[in-house]
Amino acid sequence: MADDVEESEVFEITDFTAASEWERFVARLEQVIHDWKLTSVPRARPLQKGDLTNAQWSERSQEVNFANVRFLISEHRLKHGVEEKLTLEQEENEEKADTLPQALEDMMSSENDFPPRAHCLCRWYGLRHFVVLIPAANSDAVLSESKCNLLLSSLTIAVNNTSCSVPIFAQIQQKWRRMYTGICEIPRLRTNFDMVHLNDTHQYNHLEGLLNVFKSKIASQVSDRGTVTVAVRFTYVLNDWTQYSWPLQFPDPIGTLYLSATWPSLTEDMVVDNDVYSDLEALQAPLWSVGSTCSNMQGLLGDYLISLLKLCHNTDTLDQLLGKMAFEEEDEEQTEQITHALQKLTDPGRVQFPGISSVVHSARSKIRSRQRPVDPPFSSDLLNDVLQYLFPDASVLPESSSSDLLRQQSLDSQPERYRHFKAAPRDCLTYKLTVAMCVLNSAHGGLKAVAYLWHEFVLEMRYRWENKYKLPGISGTAPNMACCLVHQKLQMLNCCIARKKAREERQSLKEADRNISTTSFASAEDADTISNVQPDRKGAGKEGEPRGSESEDEFYECEMENEADPEDDAAIQESEEISKPEGRLKVCGELKLLNSDEDLYIPVTQDPAPMTEDMLEEHAEVLAKLGTTSEGAELRAKMQSACLLSDMGAFKAANPGCSLEDFVRWYSPRDWVKGEEEEKEEKEDETTDGRKPSQGHLSPRMQLPGNMWMEVWSQSKPMPAHRQKRLFDDTKEAEKVLHFLAALKPSEVITNLLPVLIQAALERLEEAGGESIPSLQPHFGQLVNTASRLTRTPVQDVKKYEEIVRQISMAELLIAKHQSLMAKFLPNGCNGETEQVKDMEEFVCDLQNQPEVPVKDGPRGHIGGTIHKLFVSAQRAANMVEEFEKLEEDTSETVSSIPDFPAAAGREFILRTTVSRPAPYSRPSPQRMFCVLMDNELRLAGAFSQDTSFQ
Amino acid sequence: MEDDDCLTTLKILIIGESGVGKSSLLLRFTDDTFDPEQAATIGVDFKVKSLTVDGNKAKLAIWDTAGQERFRTLTPSYYRGAQGVILVYDDKREISRDQGLRFARKHSTLFIECSAKTRDGVQCAFEELVEKVCYCRLENRWKKYVLDRGMI
Repeated sequence: MADDVEESEVFEITDFTAASEWERFVARLEQVIHDWKLTSVPRARPLQKGDLTNAQWSERSQEVNFANVRFLISEHRLKHGVEEKLTLEQEENEEKADTLPQALEDMMSSENDFPPRAHCLCRWYGLRHFVVLIPAANSDAVLSESKCNLLLSSLTIAVNNTSCSVPIFAQIQQKWRRMYTGICEIPRLRTNFDMVHLNDTHQYNHLEGLLNVFKSKIASQVSDRGTVTVAVRFTYVLNDWTQYSWPLQFPDPIGTLYLSATWPSLTEDMVVDNDVYSDLEALQAPLWSVGSTCSNMQGLLGDYLISLLKLCHNTDTLDQLLGKMAFEEEDEEQTEQITHALQKLTDPGRVQFPGISSVVHSARSKIRSRQRPVDPPFSSDLLNDVLQYLFPDASVLPESSSSDLLRQQSLDSQPERYRHFKAAPRDCLTYKLTVAMCVLNSAHGGLKAVAYLWHEFVLEMRYRWENKYKLPGISGTAPNMACCLVHQKLQMLNCCIARKKAREERQSLKEADRNISTTSFASAEDADTISNVQPDRKGAGKEGEPRGSESEDEFYECEMENEADPEDDAAIQESEEISKPEGRLKVCGELKLLNSDEDLYIPVTQDPAPMTEDMLEEHAEVLAKLGTTSEGAELRAKMQSACLLSDMGAFKAANPGCSLEDFVRWYSPRDWVKGEEEEKEEKEDETTDGRKPSQGHLSPRMQLPGNMWMEVWSQSKPMPAHRQKRLFDDTKEAEKVLHFLAALKPSEVITNLLPVLIQAALERLEEAGGESIPSLQPHFGQLVNTASRLTRTPVQDVKKYEEIVRQISMAELLIAKHQSLMAKFLPNGCNGETEQVKDMEEFVCDLQNQPEVPVKDGPRGHIGGTIHKLFVSAQRAANMVEEFEKLEEDTSETVSSIPDFPAAAGREFILRTTVSRPAPYSRPSPQRMFCVLMDNELRLAGAFSQDTSFQ
Repeated sequence: MEDDDCLTTLKILIIGESGVGKSSLLLRFTDDTFDPEQAATIGVDFKVKSLTVDGNKAKLAIWDTAGQERFRTLTPSYYRGAQGVILVYDDKREISRDQGLRFARKHSTLFIECSAKTRDGVQCAFEELVEKVCYCRLENRWKKYVLDRGMI
């Protein structure tokens, strides 16, 4: 290679001064030919069927200039088979002078006629290796005849100087006409590639005319020596599908179906095709093949997803989107809420009758819904429908039924495949909200509609919190951190609602009790707690609650009752031992209190505070920030001792007269070292070693002076869980959730809901049979995995979601295409003879993956029959044959005047022969002409060879 | 300023029954001390220690949990995002060495015996765990790579 380059460079330099632009151009062409080693191309094995379409092509290009006109010279070469070594015998053959160059051999091989997907030169000439010179810019098109000739001459000189045997073409005329002229030279033989492109076909509108052209071109002096072989392909187009119902809202993805009827090898005298008569009937063709094109449109699902995803880039707030009105109303709502909250604290009357406030609010809320702050960007009917969809319980408020419970259970389980999606369970409120937003955005008003729905949604959340209506379609469990944050927040709100409801129910029950027994005696039950209210509250406020003082003002209402009549306060200070036990859950096994014969009871305890992942993170961060010193550790323990304090208090209330030892026996049994008596009782086979039976004692670590457990024990006062300071402040947490939701921009809402959106989309694809489609099947699982991984990334990357959505759209199109084809080819579903159905299914699948699929048994096969029918009914529809006529014809078998097939949209012919040119004594050489007839277009691409020595 | 960015932070959890020595184990690892009077943990505790494994420096954020059943309803929320878990048991109590081994085999985990009191095996236990965690992370990356390329 290096030598070659050097040589040619030296050559060029010597010649340079004298060279004209044209000579330099030719020299440059020659250099490229040398660089690409086109002078000694090893011969590859003969082409096999399908090679030109199925094998890989390699391509390389370089720029060459003619004066200041830029050309691009490119080499196209079929990779397949080139590397294969030839056998010795073949090599010997090559030595023989009369062996044709590979290009001519390929031209004459009929194995690859009409390749469905190939470069046009490959299609027209059957070549596997060629070089094309094209003007780099459209404006540089070579138009004048003299320029065309000059170009061809340049090629001829270059090819001759280099003895390159690879055909070289130059594009001439306007680019869109795809006109090429070319040459292939070997010693003693030259092949000229010429082309005719006409818009008038009438003279050559049949095989007979084309044969005449061919013969007149080659047989100038020769009479017919050797017959002409003919390969014919007629292509029929079907794109009227009106008689097939397509249920979806977007256009049928199958744009056009191409039927190609092929006669692979005829001889000129075997077939008649002229002005008045033609043997070339589609139904008579030995080979049929079908291809289809998919209209490259966007599927509905993809469309919806993409347009929702676009909103993620918007930065407008809810107020900006909905106008000032919206947020005034919101503000009013909020201030109202604040005053309400304050009143709740300061006005005991209000606290005692919480019923009234909710009644007032429910009414307010109804007024609000009648006088909306902003007109919805869509009809209020639609709004009602959407709200009904999201909150199906709204019409049957207030109580949830048992079926609701059943449904809630299913809400916790995700289908196996989507288990690792950090999204939301199918058909839960979050899921429905996402779907509703997606639909509203695309079909009913875009971002504004989404913003409006969110606004309504947040109002509804507040309404439900205030009126203690649980959220439908949200499981009642603590926030599930395997779900997306918005879903967790809704779960949190639901927890708050449930707790508020339980609390207030307990409250009203108590009130009822109280009303009955007010005057008789202040119930001891209430009284005994009073004593310790004040110190307890202080202790807990300081040390117990991690998030400090702002929660100090929230108590169970009963405590406030106590405050309301504090005159009892002093009465029962030292009554722990004699007080009535309270808040017992159950006995703790066989255990008895150490200091009495009473059973040891497990108390009812407060449930742990539910947390959403952002709360947890915040909390963990606070804990971690305390550092690793022993002070930090102590502080951390104190911060977390609220639960212990509460449990100890509840334990004391349930077990009057108990000790820390008793508590530890229940709470941390391994910190109780059993006495030998006890052990003996349990394990009779063990001996006591003759030691004095002991009582049992706390583990050493529990006995450490000043350890947290002892400390907390001494601080805790007997108080049943329901009267304790709440470990979980549902009011505060609910307000936090509501604030979180209200502060989200619509774009943030959508970004938060993207995982749910993707899951819903994938489930939809699966529902549509995405996995049963062979072309999609291997990729679908991968798509789900990629999406699953994406949903779990800590920060939602909209770009990555866009990529996923792109893939979902593609999958959707594949499904639509498959469904469309199935509907056309298997209109009766998968009934009927199984063998045939199987064949057909396979055929439909191939149709989606391959540019062209051969039809088994051609027109005589089962698939061929179906295709025939498709064309017949399209023909009838096109010719407006009425339905009843059709029926008549079907029964009476009358021959219709309407042909079964439309006129062929394209007719291709390949004519081949071998003759001696230019003189009768010349060496016989291959001649080929490709012809295509379309509408009013005729293209003839001829390759005519002649002997260059015996002329 | 140290080259913090080359540090990976790994979240490690220590769980197990109450009183088996979780906090003692941690204290031995982080401070190389042993306190026979180690107090019972309340909720979760937290310690940090850097460790070099295979030349890679890793920062361990170790969460020590209380073993009492009641606390076990609270602590699982801290399990989130943990890359490694040490399940501690006391082989002088209910569970025998064999049972421990069987459990480890059944759940395909590491099984390491160590003593916070004598220091035996403590450092090794943490190192082994970190090594395993790093290895699994690599393996996951490999799996992802393999999946993406459609090799399986």
